[in-house]
Amino acid sequence: MEKEQIKKKLASAASMPKDVVMGASVVTVLGMSEVCIENYSGITEYTDTLVRIRTKHGQIQLKGSCLEIEFYTNDEMKITGSINLIEFQEGRNLR
Amino acid sequence: MIENGMRYLRGYVKIQIQGYSPERFLNLCSYHHILIWGLAYEDHCYELCMSVRDFKRIRPFAKKTHTKVRVKEKYGFPFSLYNNRKRKLFFAGFIICIFLLQIYSMFIWDIHFTGNETRTDEALSSFLREKGVFAGMLKKEADCRKIVKEIRTQYDDVVWVSASLDGSRLKIQIKENEDSFEKEEKKKDENAVDLVASSDGVITKIVTRTGTPQVHVGDTVKKGDILVSGRVEIVNDSKEVIGYKYCHADADIFADTQMEYEDELSASYEEKVYDKKEKHRFYVKVKDTRVSFGSVKMKPNRCEFISKEYGVKAGKNFYLPFSYGMETVRSYHLREKIYTKEEMRAVLSKDFERFCKDLQKKVFK
Repeated sequence: MEKEQIKKKLASAASMPKDVVMGASVVTVLGMSEVCIENYSGITEYTDTLVRIRTKHGQIQLKGSCLEIEFYTNDEMKITGSINLIEFQEGRNLR
Repeated sequence: MIENGMRYLRGYVKIQIQGYSPERFLNLCSYHHILIWGLAYEDHCYELCMSVRDFKRIRPFAKKTHTKVRVKEKYGFPFSLYNNRKRKLFFAGFIICIFLLQIYSMFIWDIHFTGNETRTDEALSSFLREKGVFAGMLKKEADCRKIVKEIRTQYDDVVWVSASLDGSRLKIQIKENEDSFEKEEKKKDENAVDLVASSDGVITKIVTRTGTPQVHVGDTVKKGDILVSGRVEIVNDSKEVIGYKYCHADADIFADTQMEYEDELSASYEEKVYDKKEKHRFYVKVKDTRVSFGSVKMKPNRCEFISKEYGVKAGKNFYLPFSYGMETVRSYHLREKIYTKEEMRAVLSKDFERFCKDLQKKVFK
């Protein structure tokens, strides 16, 4: 069994929050205009129409227009603007 | 909101970054706990805000990622201070403001009384003024303990006083005794005294405190009869009188008595009828000089003169030496009228009620 799966089982068995145990990113979407992302490792790309964020397990892609990063710290970021698409891509070595 | 205020106070810069991989620069910043906000993309460059302190730390990261950093705008208190450095009067004003605030807070601006029911604020503050405590005095000269002591020695019926400084306000809390001390006055004459009936009547209730009661409930007494004797018999074990002790008789005695009451009322009276003429005059007074606006002259007629004056005060008790007021003159004429029977009855019975109330007050004083 893979290490990830052990962790997953452990988390569900002990009913522990998965974002802590597995490092899953937390994405909070508020309407069409605000997205709050926690647990990520960095930004891969950022323009006013596309934001790509690297997470532990893959990538989150946001598409929209007039995208702005309201704040950007080591553990949380907030993106505002009109958002059309939120996409999750698995795989470590996405560019 | 608070965060924005703090950012402004510490100062922050809006910078523009441009280079091969600005994302890498951003990641480096966030890795080193540099807070970034207001990140926006604008034709191949990024604009972002960061605090001045963090801005000083980003040079190595910019070098590492080959990013060009250009300061676009500076915001915040340190920068505005620097930009306005030539405005000497502004800074002078600022310093004077702080200085004045400091000086003004050295004085007491208000004296606030709470709990005084029988004494008015004015009476208390005029007493304190005699003792050198007034609104406008220096704070450090106010000795709360001394004030408390003085109030307690001056007013016997004040059972508890507390004086405290609350900012630039002197707070005086007072607790008054609800039942006044009358016994102390009586102690003054220690002579033996009898209690004597002041009018004829039938005794309904008697409560003796000192002395020997001479009458019982239901007895009929005449004016001048001794009700309670100031002589107290001293008896031995076999109930023989061996001596007398003389004291000041004291008792509550209730009796039914008769009293004559008569009242007269003249049937005709004069009623004031106001004309619709009214004149106002507004005035401002500084100390004793008065400046008025308008006139109140009226034709020689009967008129009523009303004057209202308001003192200008800062706070609740600190009167400034200004006052303003309004004088009003209303003319009227008198008209003779005659009471109807009902009106007469109402007026007279009102008078009678007042008489009864006064009587009660006199007795239970």
